[in-house]
Amino acid sequence: MVIGANPAAAHPVFASQMKRRLRQGAKLIVIDPRSTEMVKSPHVEAQYHLKLRPGTNVAIITALAHVIMTEELHDAEFVAQRCDTKSFADWKQFVMRAENSPEAMAAVTGVPAEEIRGAARLYATGNNGAIYYGLGVTEHAQGSTMVMGIANLAMATGNVGREGVGVNPLRGQNNVQGSCDMGSFPHELPGYRHISDSTVRSQFEAEWKCTLDPEPGLRIPNMFDAALDGSFKGLYCEGEDIAQSDPNTQHVTAALTAMECIVVQDLFLNETAKFAHVFLPGSSFLEKDGTFTNAERRISRVRKVMPPKAGKSDWEVTVALANALGYPMHYNHPSEIMDEIAALTPSFHGVNYRKIDQLGSIQWPCNEKAPNGTPTMHIDQFVRGKGQFIITQFIATTEKVTQKYPLILTTGRILSQYNVGAQTRRTENVRWHSEDVLEMHPHDAEERNIREGNWVGIESRAGQTVLRAVITERVQPGVVYTTFHFPESGANVITTDNSDWATNCPEYKVTAVQVMPVTQHSEWQKNFAHFTEDQLALLHAEQLAPVGSASN
Amino acid sequence: MDKENLVTMANQIGAFYETMPDRAKALSDIAEHIKKFWDPRMRRELLDYIDQPGEQALHLIPVVTESIRLNRAKL
Repeated sequence: MVIGANPAAAHPVFASQMKRRLRQGAKLIVIDPRSTEMVKSPHVEAQYHLKLRPGTNVAIITALAHVIMTEELHDAEFVAQRCDTKSFADWKQFVMRAENSPEAMAAVTGVPAEEIRGAARLYATGNNGAIYYGLGVTEHAQGSTMVMGIANLAMATGNVGREGVGVNPLRGQNNVQGSCDMGSFPHELPGYRHISDSTVRSQFEAEWKCTLDPEPGLRIPNMFDAALDGSFKGLYCEGEDIAQSDPNTQHVTAALTAMECIVVQDLFLNETAKFAHVFLPGSSFLEKDGTFTNAERRISRVRKVMPPKAGKSDWEVTVALANALGYPMHYNHPSEIMDEIAALTPSFHGVNYRKIDQLGSIQWPCNEKAPNGTPTMHIDQFVRGKGQFIITQFIATTEKVTQKYPLILTTGRILSQYNVGAQTRRTENVRWHSEDVLEMHPHDAEERNIREGNWVGIESRAGQTVLRAVITERVQPGVVYTTFHFPESGANVITTDNSDWATNCPEYKVTAVQVMPVTQHSEWQKNFAHFTEDQLALLHAEQLAPVGSASN
Repeated sequence: MDKENLVTMANQIGAFYETMPDRAKALSDIAEHIKKFWDPRMRRELLDYIDQPGEQALHLIPVVTESIRLNRAKL
């Protein structure tokens, strides 16, 4: 079951492995508002495509659970042995309510009840049922609730803890897993340990010879709010382009403008660099040693094949910055950083570069209990002990369609461009995809007198932008879709500040909009073009200035 | 911080936990979530908001207000 993900476009390595299994006879259920390549393409034909309305994932997952429980398709033995009895009873009672039936939920999701029933039966009775999900799950106001709903479904059907099953997030970038493992959340230390844990914190304090704040820090959207009230003044932004990638661009740029010191470290002068006070050159994956960790917790080596063009690898720049700020930091090689991680993080105790080289890669946890790593987790018990079922009440997003904004915009990626395109739209890949376009259903286009290739204005509660229209039945009536690979598209000018209740992950996948034919770019796009011209002119002047001249 | 955003975030957290069967645990979990994941300045502003007399506190859903009042010392 693939939910809210289009691996053919965004995870091609995984997609090729999945296609191999499909050719061998595996069945496929796709839950996605669009008819993606995962629904039907060479070597792929989904048995079920639940083409839901954007923002209704939780309604669908609960309806699937309703069918499984009312038709007694669950794995009672697994639940009895491995799961918490009380929470299972509460959850069972909840999902079996009539209001959670596929018939009742059809009005919300737009998916015919029989399709949900068929998909539920296939998942529950297919022997090995694996769920893969992407940003189409997490980038919602109820993203976390949906992940809990997926875990409920996998536990109820006994599809956890052995090869070929499980709950598998397809990460947004190649090393998201690795970043999360290393405590890149503002409340965590490496190994997913909360900063308020004084025992853990004291180990890091002893190693780093400093005192750590026991309180959580700000998440990115909260940083922007705090910048606007003057209490957040500086940002070190490494390998990320928040001015393009974050929602409600005008809010983001206002926040960046309000900060006193922005340091950007990147391969390119990206959109955020236009707001930077200091720019530090980044290094590509070919210019540094290190590791990437993928979605299956697999730690693989990254090997330097050429010296960094800018003189330093990324980690060396960070070390130099720390030293310049007065905090002595020294490592001779990234392997020493891994040794420090291993010493401080129980799930990494057994990891070192020598072992990664010997084994090829290592899936954590890797420690005294699992010296060669852990390919499959949750085999005999869950990390917390008994599996806990959580009630997943569907709560509609506040981003509602109205007469003024009658369509739902959702976003995604294309194979030839990567994320905000910083690394790919400067390449020949633009021959395949040279601009972001707006996909809309023929009915919606006809109602608005829009034809293929017309410029259309897309207006939301946050802003307005203009794209070229592509008329297609890939999207359902009432839904429009675009990619976000080009900054001038302004896809995030229209996305809103809505975010997930637990993580604050922005709700990129649901924005109420109106679409109308236009003849010129939006005001934001015109301002963006002027701003970019000004920035490039300043950069050009700086490059021509004699060495040693004063600069701003 | 944008108070309207903080209220929205707190209400979203409250709406999730409100559906849990154990009301006392839900009230405790709401405060616990805010304590674990909100920067201190956000928590402070939320407490200030609750302390303000008048209509504004009404924008918080009751389960959030109750949770914060019960667990104020933690926050």
